[in-house]
Amino acid sequence: MQYHAILIYIMKLYEFEGIELFHAEGIPVPAYALASSPEEAREKAVEIGLPVVIKAQVLTGGRYLAGGVRVAKSPDEVISVARKIFKLSIGGLPVERVIIVREVEIAQEYYLGIIVDGYYGTPMAILSLEGGVSINKIAQERPEVLVSKRISISQGFTASDARRMSREAGLRGQDFTELSNLICSLYNVFRKNDALLTEINPLVRTVDGDYLAMDAKVEIDDSSMYRHTDLSINMQDHISNPLERKAREIGVSYVELDGDIAIIASGAGLGMSSMDIIARTMRPANFLETGGGITADLLYKVMDLVLQKSGIRALFINIYGGINPIHEGAKGVVKYMQEHNVTIPVVAKALGNHQEETWEIFEQHGVHVVKDVSTEKGVELLAHLLGEKP
Amino acid sequence: MSILIDKATRVLVQGITGKTGRTQTKWMLDYGTNVVAGVTPGRGGEVVEGVPVFNTVKEAIAKTGAEASVFFVPPPGVKAAAIETIDAGIKLIVVITEHIPVHDVMEIREYAGDSDAQIIGPTSPGVITVGQAKMGIMPGNMFTPGRIGVISRSGTLSYEISINLATAGLGQSTVVGIGADPVVFTGVSELLGLFEKDDDTDLVVIIGEVGGIQEEKAAEFIDRWMTKPVVAYIAGLNAPEGKKMGHAGAIIQGDGRGTSQSKVAAFREVGVDVAKYPTEVVTLAQKRLKLTNT
Repeated sequence: MQYHAILIYIMKLYEFEGIELFHAEGIPVPAYALASSPEEAREKAVEIGLPVVIKAQVLTGGRYLAGGVRVAKSPDEVISVARKIFKLSIGGLPVERVIIVREVEIAQEYYLGIIVDGYYGTPMAILSLEGGVSINKIAQERPEVLVSKRISISQGFTASDARRMSREAGLRGQDFTELSNLICSLYNVFRKNDALLTEINPLVRTVDGDYLAMDAKVEIDDSSMYRHTDLSINMQDHISNPLERKAREIGVSYVELDGDIAIIASGAGLGMSSMDIIARTMRPANFLETGGGITADLLYKVMDLVLQKSGIRALFINIYGGINPIHEGAKGVVKYMQEHNVTIPVVAKALGNHQEETWEIFEQHGVHVVKDVSTEKGVELLAHLLGEKP
Repeated sequence: MSILIDKATRVLVQGITGKTGRTQTKWMLDYGTNVVAGVTPGRGGEVVEGVPVFNTVKEAIAKTGAEASVFFVPPPGVKAAAIETIDAGIKLIVVITEHIPVHDVMEIREYAGDSDAQIIGPTSPGVITVGQAKMGIMPGNMFTPGRIGVISRSGTLSYEISINLATAGLGQSTVVGIGADPVVFTGVSELLGLFEKDDDTDLVVIIGEVGGIQEEKAAEFIDRWMTKPVVAYIAGLNAPEGKKMGHAGAIIQGDGRGTSQSKVAAFREVGVDVAKYPTEVVTLAQKRLKLTNT
C-alpha cells in the first residue's frame, strides 16, 4: 500500500539523476552513460572501457536481488547481459533504461545517509562502516557499526559534527578525512534540493584508495518543487502507473488496488478508513483522496479517473464539507454521470457545510445518499445494492 | 477552559483576504469565535466580514490584543509568516495550509522550540473547543459539547468519529487535528498532557494512521503519565501490504515501528482499547467511562 503521503510528498529520483546532483556537490561519482537498448549499452560500454557494471534504472529497491545489476567483461557480454536486464520487471516496473559504469575493485564498502527524523522533526545523518545492504538490515543485525546524529537545520551540519561522527564510528586516516567531507557534501545535496532522503549505498574505497559513490538515492519533497525549477526533472516521468500519473496531474492522491469498488474520499484518513470497512466484505479498487481543493470540475475529473479502471462494480463517495464546498463537488459528480451514462450503483455519504444542498443534487440524479453519520452504514447500503452479504 | 482555546480567545486570521481565508473567517465567526483581526501584508485597512485587516502581526496585536493565530497563508509564505508571528509573541498558531515544504516545517519547528509558542499543524483541520470557538476549517455541525477530548492525525476522521460519539450522547471538550505530514509541529503526546490536566475532559480519543511513530510514542506517554482513560482508532489497518511509509524513525530503530500492527500492539500493551472501525470508538468509550465511574 502506497499512502497519500508518499504520493504527495516524495518524488524518488532515478539513480542517474541522483548522480548528477551528487556530482554538482563535488561527491566523486563514477563516469556513467545512459542507454535505452542493448546495442546502445554496448556502444557506451566500449567508450567507458570494459569491464563494466550495467544497472537497471527503476524507482524501486531490490535491483540487485532481481538481477538488475550485472557485470559484463566483453562487448558481446554487454549485449547479452543488457538483453536480460531489459526484459526484467523489478517490483512490477519495466526496465526502460540502464546506466553503464566502469567496474571498480572494492576494498571497503560504507553507507552514508541523510534522512528526515519525522518524530523529532530534524534531519539526521547516518554513517555505517558496512554498506551494500539495506540500512534497515544493518540497523537490525549490526547496530554496532552504525552511528547517527540529529542535525539542527538552522545551524546546518558542520565539519566538526562530521568529524565527531567519524571518530565515534572509529574511522582513521584517509577514511576519517574522506568520509567526514563526504557526509557534509551529502547534507548539502539534501538541504539545497529540499530532499527527504539522500543516500550513498555503497560508498566504496577502491583498492587504489579512491572513494566513489557507487549508488545515488535521492528523494525530493514534491511540495518544494515550486522553488526548484532549476532541477531539470520531469516529475510525471517518475510515476509508472498511468492512473496515478493522471491523479498527480489533476492534483489528487490515487493508489490503484486490486478490487472493484471505487472510492472517492475528501481526506486521507477517511479514505483509508473507507477502504478498511469496504475490505471487510468486498474489495476496494483504489484509494483516492481529494484533499481540500474540491470544485465541480475537480470531482468531474476524479469521476473520470476512478471509473477508468475496468470492472468497477460500484462507487462509494465519502466527503465532508469543512474546507470543501461539497455541493459544488456534487454538481461535478452528477454532470459526469449524466454525460457518461453511469449505471453502476453510486452511494454517497456527504456531511458538513452545505450537506442538505449536496444531498438534493445527488438524489435528483440517482445517487444513493446515506444520511447516517457512519461510514459503516454507507458501506452496508452499497453491499445491499450489490446483493452482497452485509 | 478545555484546552488551547475558548470563547474568550482573541483570534487573528493570517491570509484573511484569500478565498479560503474569507470563507472560513465567516464560518468561524458564525460559530462564535472571537475573531478580532486579520493580517495580509499590503492589505492593511481593508475589512473582511467585519474584521479589520492589518499589514503586520505586531500591528494587529497592538490594535486588537490578538493572542492566537490561524494560518490560511499559501505554502511559500508560511515560513516567514510563522517567524513573524512567533517573534510578535503569539502563543498559539494553527496552520491549516497544506503542502508546505518539509524543510520549512523543520525550520519553523526548531525556531518555535526556542520560544513558548505552541504550533498545531501543518495540514491541520484546526482546533475546536466545542460550543465555544474554532480556529480552522472543521464543520461546526459535526461536534457537540461534552467531556471527550479528541486528538486526530486525520481531519475528516475527527469529524466522523465526533459526530458518531455525539449520537451516542458523548460530546467533545476540545478536538485537535494535528495533521499527518511527515513532520508535525505538535505531537500526540504533548496534547495528551494538556488533556490530562484539563478539568473539562474525562476521556481522550486518539485517531491515528499508519506511518510515523506518533502512536508508539503516545503509548509510552500514556503508560507513564495518563490517569484518564484513552481509546484509539488507527486508519489503514486493512490496507494491503506493499510499499511502506519510508519513515525515518522506523528505519533507524530497525524495529518495525510505524506499521498499523505495531501501533495497535503498543496501545493494547498499555491498556488502551483500540477500535477496529470508527464507530467502535463509541462503544469502547462508553465502556471505559462506565468502568471509570463505578
